[in-house]
Amino acid sequence: MPSAGCRVLAFARDWSPHSASHVEQRALRSHLRGLGADLIIVSAHQAWRIRPDDEIATLGELAARELARAHAIKREDAVIVLDYDHASIFEHRGPVVDHSQLLASLTAATEAMLMPAPTTFTRRGWMSTCLVSGFATVVLASCKQHEHRDPVPEPAVVPPPAVAHEIDIELDVNGTTHKLRIEPRVSLLDALRERLQLVGTKKGCDAGQCGACTIHINGKRVLSCLTLAATAQGKPITTIEGLAEGLGGGALHPLQTAFIAHDGMQCGFCTPGQIMSAAALIKENRAKTDDEVREQMSGNICRCGAYPNILAAIQSVRGGNAG
Amino acid sequence: MNPFSYLRPTTEKEAFAALSQPDTMALAGGTTLVDLMRLEIMRPLHVVDITGLPLGKIETGVSSITIGALATNSDVAYHPDVVAKLPALADAIRAGASGQIRNMATTSGNLLQRTRCPYFRDASSPCNKRSPGSGCAALEGFTRMNAIVGTSKDCIAAHPSDMSVALVALDASVHLRSTSGERSVKVGDFYTLPANHPNVESVIQPGELVVSVEVPITPLAATSRYVKVRDRWSYAFALAAAAVALDVQGGTIKAASVVLGGVGTKPWREPAVEQALIGKPATQEVFVSAANLALATPDVRPDNAFKVGLAKRVVARALGLVAGGSK
Repeated sequence: MPSAGCRVLAFARDWSPHSASHVEQRALRSHLRGLGADLIIVSAHQAWRIRPDDEIATLGELAARELARAHAIKREDAVIVLDYDHASIFEHRGPVVDHSQLLASLTAATEAMLMPAPTTFTRRGWMSTCLVSGFATVVLASCKQHEHRDPVPEPAVVPPPAVAHEIDIELDVNGTTHKLRIEPRVSLLDALRERLQLVGTKKGCDAGQCGACTIHINGKRVLSCLTLAATAQGKPITTIEGLAEGLGGGALHPLQTAFIAHDGMQCGFCTPGQIMSAAALIKENRAKTDDEVREQMSGNICRCGAYPNILAAIQSVRGGNAG
Repeated sequence: MNPFSYLRPTTEKEAFAALSQPDTMALAGGTTLVDLMRLEIMRPLHVVDITGLPLGKIETGVSSITIGALATNSDVAYHPDVVAKLPALADAIRAGASGQIRNMATTSGNLLQRTRCPYFRDASSPCNKRSPGSGCAALEGFTRMNAIVGTSKDCIAAHPSDMSVALVALDASVHLRSTSGERSVKVGDFYTLPANHPNVESVIQPGELVVSVEVPITPLAATSRYVKVRDRWSYAFALAAAAVALDVQGGTIKAASVVLGGVGTKPWREPAVEQALIGKPATQEVFVSAANLALATPDVRPDNAFKVGLAKRVVARALGLVAGGSK
């Protein structure tokens, strides 16, 4: 079972996929999608794995018992967050008496994590922990609600028809072939970030409007959020991680150097997409003047407004400033 | 996104077999379908990736250019023959979307893209196009981007394509193929008005595939332009746009084509403007007075009433640019 970064284990005695409404399940998936985490819910007799774009996988009674034993859970509810190395980075055991209590303990846990080992601190690690922990409270809260619900059946929710099945694909990313088993609805962006841990490609809008997820397929710039991973088979894919490949160990691509030299970023979130888009723009050779470069870069939004510096960086590499 | 099965056929026979199942959508560039599936506006059970079919060629013949259904918008917009012989088409595609999206979006996908009406894209709003009979939230909503001609009491969604506006102006045809044969439809007749069935947007039938678009090479087409006005300088849908073409001989207009974008529920030809141009001298005064005949009976709302005057000025400007460039 490949691990997708952090993992949340929720021990909820009375949970089952049938007790969670379609809307709640969708909320769970939507939370998970952005986190780089998968969720395992363990009930008294069963365990399930939930990923944002996959069918809920039943792990079996044995797995449920093993997980409970491994984490010393008897009958109580608990939420445990495991990091990349499966070390526990957050634990809450027992019922949620008061939501604010849990939030306070979360804050303490986050602070505790940050204090002793600043050298191992990474922004992604920190964000994942905060998000996952916060999410965990939501999971547990929703699990708890079901305990107190009257056993009145919800209005029938038509389950998605059982046409979805995982397919085996191969992706050629930055010169390396990766074998993946995915559902057809998984975007290339999610496959890169959540399965291959190539997190340089960013998820901004996930709707084809911001350009943060720009990558190259067959040498052309495209949006990985609007590309299904399954459709990218057999085509060379380049992400920001592979842009400088072939330039020698540790060397940056000229555009990366130029973005640093011209300060072409503020928060940096859009930068990988900007650079991938700009690298393709230079190769396309359709934009020369400043106005033409602006037009050709209009699919990459920078909410910090670093546009003048981004333009300067691109023009410095393009080799002209004919504005 | 709802789950679906995925198939990538490499022959038309396989493709047609797969597409004959109910609740099936063809997937090409994905810029419309993946977006709308993620919003759960479209929920096909089966997705057939048609990009394995050999439909991507652009071929220049003696009297026409044939553009394969899977030729990308970038392929078309920067093709030397398209740029030289069909400038309005190259202009129109370059005026739409972004560099990335033009690299992904295909000719057939552009033709069949869905409206950007915000209420169509919001599953919680009533929309007759999305859920027939549910009502139209746009009628009483924010309508800056909505249509003012070709509307009905059930739908005022604007047609979003720039490319299609140019194709109508250039008198292009869509070639459709199914297991029962092939047929051609003028792009001008390809789209249907919403009337009381806004969920139906074109004459394409279930089981039919767009295989190509054929654009005649004419003197008119060679002197065509596309002018688009939008809320920002790039990467936005049209508030008003015009694809125009003029055949001017000895200072007199012999033939004219004027089609509006951004204002109609489909690309909107203006025969009255065309008639007012033919036989007249190619002067800016003539262009302005002809342009003023456009949109004679618009269905405006407070948010979009400005489009009437804007569209007329866009037409006059586009005509002026064509006349200036054709000398």
